[in-house]
Parts: sequence; C-alpha cells; structure tokens
Amino acid sequence: MNRLDRRQLLISGVTAALLGSRGAWAQSQATFRIGALNPVTGSGANFGSGMQKSIVFAAEEVNAAGGAAGRKLEVFSEDDQTNPNAAVLAAKKLLEVHRVQAILGTWASGVSLAVLPMTNTANVILMHTSGAVALADPKVNAKKLAFRYQGSSKHLSRAFAEAARKEGLRRPAVMAQNNPALAPHAEGFRKVWEGAGGKLTDFVLYEPGRPSYRSELQQVLRSKPDGIILSAYVADATAIVRDWGQLGTPMKWIIPGFGANVDFIKGVTPEVAEGIVVVESVVNERSSAYARFARQYALTMKQAPESNVYAAMCYDMVQVLALAIEAAGPGADAVAVAAKVRDVTTGKGQPVGSFEEGKKLLAQKKAINYEGASSSVDFDDENDVDPTFAAFVIRAGKWQRAYAING
Amino acid sequence: MDLALSDFLNLALNGLAEGLLVALPALAVTLVFGVARFPNAAVRDFVSLGSFGALTAHRLSGGSMLAAGIGAAAAGAAGTWLGWRLAFAPLLRRKGLALLLTSIGVGFVLRAAMGLGFGHEIKLFDLPPMRAWRWGDLVINPLDVFVGGMSLACVVLVFALLRFTSTGRTMRAIADDMDLARVVGIDSRAAMTRMWLLSGIVCGVAGLAYGLKTQVSPESGADMLLPAFAAAVVGGLGNPLGAVLGAIGLGVLQELSTPFVGFTYKIALSYVAMLLVLLWRPQGLFGRAQGVR
Repeated sequence: MNRLDRRQLLISGVTAALLGSRGAWAQSQATFRIGALNPVTGSGANFGSGMQKSIVFAAEEVNAAGGAAGRKLEVFSEDDQTNPNAAVLAAKKLLEVHRVQAILGTWASGVSLAVLPMTNTANVILMHTSGAVALADPKVNAKKLAFRYQGSSKHLSRAFAEAARKEGLRRPAVMAQNNPALAPHAEGFRKVWEGAGGKLTDFVLYEPGRPSYRSELQQVLRSKPDGIILSAYVADATAIVRDWGQLGTPMKWIIPGFGANVDFIKGVTPEVAEGIVVVESVVNERSSAYARFARQYALTMKQAPESNVYAAMCYDMVQVLALAIEAAGPGADAVAVAAKVRDVTTGKGQPVGSFEEGKKLLAQKKAINYEGASSSVDFDDENDVDPTFAAFVIRAGKWQRAYAING
Repeated sequence: MDLALSDFLNLALNGLAEGLLVALPALAVTLVFGVARFPNAAVRDFVSLGSFGALTAHRLSGGSMLAAGIGAAAAGAAGTWLGWRLAFAPLLRRKGLALLLTSIGVGFVLRAAMGLGFGHEIKLFDLPPMRAWRWGDLVINPLDVFVGGMSLACVVLVFALLRFTSTGRTMRAIADDMDLARVVGIDSRAAMTRMWLLSGIVCGVAGLAYGLKTQVSPESGADMLLPAFAAAVVGGLGNPLGAVLGAIGLGVLQELSTPFVGFTYKIALSYVAMLLVLLWRPQGLFGRAQGVR
C-alpha cells in the first residue's frame, strides 16, 4: 500500500481499538478460558467429537452452578486432526488468539508431545489422555502443568503382560503400529514380558495408513505364536483381524480397547471377533460422576457412553479444573490453579462427585477428593492417574467383562 | 528367518493386490494430467467421495455390490463434474501450478463438506465373513480377487474407451494439442467434461475398492495419493497404461522387499525406486520425451 487514505486510517484505527479492547477483555478475570483440542478427525475421530462435547457440557454444568471462584468457563473448540502439525497450529490459535488458560483433551501421544512445550512456554495447563511414557518425563513436564487422565503406556504394558499371563500364553508375538504411543507400548510389553522370563516369537512394527497389512500378518503367523498382542487403532486393527479371519488359523488376540471398539467388531464381523481379549481402562462406573456423565453423554451424542472412555476423562478434566480454580480463589492464574489440582483430587479429603458438591465443601474450608467418571482421578508424583484396567472378551459382538487387572 | 518360495509368492500376491488398488487413483491422476496438464491433488478427496457414495448405496440397497459400484461411480463423477464446472473450467488455460493449487483448494472444500455431511468417524463396510482360498502354502483372499478384478475391469474399460470410441479419440486429440484439436473442429470443452467425468468414475470405483479394503472417512483417500502419484510418475505422467503398470510394479517391489528392509522401510523403497526410474528415464517408463501421448 503506497499511502493511507482516510478510510484505511479509520479502518485500521477501529481494528486497533477492537483488538485492544479484546486484549483487555481477555485479561479480565470474569472468565476462565479453556481450549478443547480434540481429535475430531483422523484416527481418533471415533472419540474426538464425544470428547469435545463432553468438555462443553461439563463447562455448562459448572457455569450453571455459578462458575468457579466467580468465573464462568468459556470453551473454545478446535480439531487437532490427530496430527501433530495441525495440532500445533490449532494450539497456537488457542493460546495466542483466544488466550486460553488451559488446553484439555489432546488424545494422540504425538499431539500431546507437540503441544506440551507450547503450553509450558505460555504457562498454561494441559490435560490429556495420551499414553506415551515420555509425557511424564521430568524434563518434558518440568513445570508440572500437564496432567494425564489415561493410563500411561507403562500401565498399559503391565496390564497387557498380566492379561497375556492370565490367558495362558507361552509364546506370543507382538504387532504394533509404529507411532509414539503404540510402539513404546509394545516395547514396554516386551520389556515386562521378557523381564519375567517370557519369550516372544516375533515383534513387528508396521506403518499406519496402509491399504493392507497382509505381509506383516503372514510374517507374524510364520513364527507360529500361540497369541498375538496387537497394539493398534480401529482402522488397522480391523484390517489385520479381518485378514486373519479369512486365514482360519486359530489364534488368541489381545487388543487395547481403543482398537477393538464397536466399529471394529462390526467391521470384522462378530463371528471373527468372538473370543478376542480386549484390555481397556475402565470407567468408574459406580461413581455419581459417571452416572451424571453417562446421562448427559447419551443425550448429547446419542451413543452409548461406555463406547467412549476418553469422553469421561474429558468430563473429569473440566470438573477437576473448576474445583482447582475454586480452591485457588478469585483471580488465580493457571500456574496457581495447577498447584491446586492435586489438592482437590488426591489425598484424604471428603469424596465429592461433582463440582457443585465440591464447591460447597470448599466454601466451608473442607478438604475434598474428587471421584471422577473415568477413574477415581488420583494423581501420582508424575501427574499420572493410575486407572483400573479390565480384560473383556468379545462374545456375540459385545465386550463381556472377564476380570480386573491391576496395571 | 528362512523363507520358502511360497512365502515370496505370497508377498508378490499381496503386492499385486495393493498395486491394483493404487492403479485406479494413479489412472485418475494420469488421465487428468494427460488432458488438463496438472497433477490433480483432489484425487484423494474424489476417492473418499466415491467411498461415501459406495457405502451409502451399499447400506440403502441392503448390501448390493452392484448398487455400491453405481453409487461410487455416480458420487465420483458428480464430484469431478462439479469441480470442473466451478473451479477448473474457469482456469482452463492457466499454468499447471495455478491448477494444482486450485485442486488442493477443491480438495479442502470437498473434505470439509464430507465431514459436515457424513461426520468424521471411521466407517466400515459390513461384509460377510469370508475364507481365504489356499493352494498349498499359497493364500488368496476372495476380497482381494474381487477388488483386483473390479480394478482390472475398470482399467480395461477405460482403455477401450480411449482406444476405440470417438470420445476417446477426441480426448487423445486434445491431450496431444488442444489448439490443433479445436482447429479440426473438436469441441474441447465437451471433451474436457467427458474426461473429468471419466476420471470421476475411476476415482469413485477406487473409492469403493479402497473402502472395502480399509475404512471410509473424509480423510481415507489421503493415504493413497502419494503412492498414486508415484505410480503415475514412474509410468510416465499422462500415460494410462504406464500408471497402471507403475502401480502394480511398485506394489510388488514394495512387498517383495520386506524380508530384506522390514515393514517400516518398504514404503521409502518405492520412492527410491521412483527416483531411480526418474534418473534413468526422466519421462517415466512409458512416457515419451515430451510427455505427450
């Protein structure tokens, strides 16, 4: 532009004024701004929308109860596309344009690993459902602003080893997608399994997004295992198990719940899925928080709530965050809020099942312990929850609870 | 691990199945390139659209494969026809780069529309359980035979159309020289429309094949774009036979390499093969020096 005319001057002036006022508004303490960054598309798509909607309805619940420490929660939703590149752009927008003080609900480990340095730099809270052990690394989570609501790979690996033992496997093989969550999970399983003197017949990492995994499967079957530990998401798990179903070789499969959900069973057909063992962290089904979450989830998503344990985790994130804001008092920044998360979730406080309940007790200066919908939400020193796992067996197209596993 | 001959044959069969799957989008890429002279990045989204068309028709008809095929072809053709009328036709005489960027934009719009219309959840075809056919140690999957057969039939039909019909002749004429074709009285816009419809049908059938083998989502065609480009480039851009043979060749090579390079690097290997071919014959295996058919 060569020179500014009056109109352009006016426009830029108005723009600057608007930006300025918006900036000032962002600083105001009347709201606490939350970014809902979820895998609405990509390989987490079966969970992402439900996660995002759960964050929204949980925030509405908190606001209906009068907000936290006088502040309303305001949610800004973004799609991370289950893709670290897209997630970084979305997180940048959340942090710089919307000036959120917490980002909730990243799912894939690659995404959480990419977003965590950004939230750290901005002194913003990150609550995620990713499995990668690296996320608990003291260097990565140096400011302790990140909280994990899902069992980490170390928990999941132990749970798998336990399930393999209980299933009586003597020489299993491992197939895993080569990504930052599933490959370490498989490696972790190998470590636990071989550490206890067990043998593996083969260990195959495969690349995601292939039209077929037949060659990979054939190699694993050549090693004649008595069971296959398959660490996969729905699309690849379906392709692999479908191929196996056509071969007719008897085999015991152990698959994580995020890979063997209802769509998987439909895709491979219930006949083929019959007898497959599924290991999944289980929701806290007896808690009042779960009952409330399940009702609202079924209403909003028109889906069975048990099909999306991550949505329950997201619901808990908002409840915990709101309780921590309440405990930190008016005007607290994200760092002060993060420091209160353990106080309201972990320890000897009076159990509470909702923000509303906790808020009343906090007003009476009582200690509380939030019992969540996804787990009892107790954080260890690395800000990881320790969820309960259970093994399910697929019978007539449905998961049937077989036994509990202490990861 | 000791590998028997039958293991290599099985790998080759897997590669053939994968190659036939990639052959259709590669054909779509090369058809557009041959006539409109640009690499069409929206092929991935036309393939996804075909998958949705197929899935919808399959469910509505209570599981008829014929209906799925018709739905796929109709969805793919509708997609490319709209893309041509709204986005590509106005830019007819522009350089390839403008058209490439346009195709990326068309893909974005289409993907977003599919996301709004169908949702982003991964969907799967309900297929009856099938048993693999075995001859000794050789294993053949009936679904692969079906998908491969469908792919081959589609390729043969496209070749017959290009070779033996007046529509095909006019398409080849404008691929050779658009101005000369106009001078001799060929309606180049009509021929372009037919080319886009044809590439849409090919994308649609590819969508059905891919949806049957994997899953259906707005992003599902994405994984096949790069292999399709690689196949089209190896075969010589603009050469339909080259694209199909390129896809099959790369697929087989990739699977046969796995005992030596493993499953992670087999994908890189097909691009290394592409680079080597380009160093040796920059016009591709079956392309002519000017890339004109």
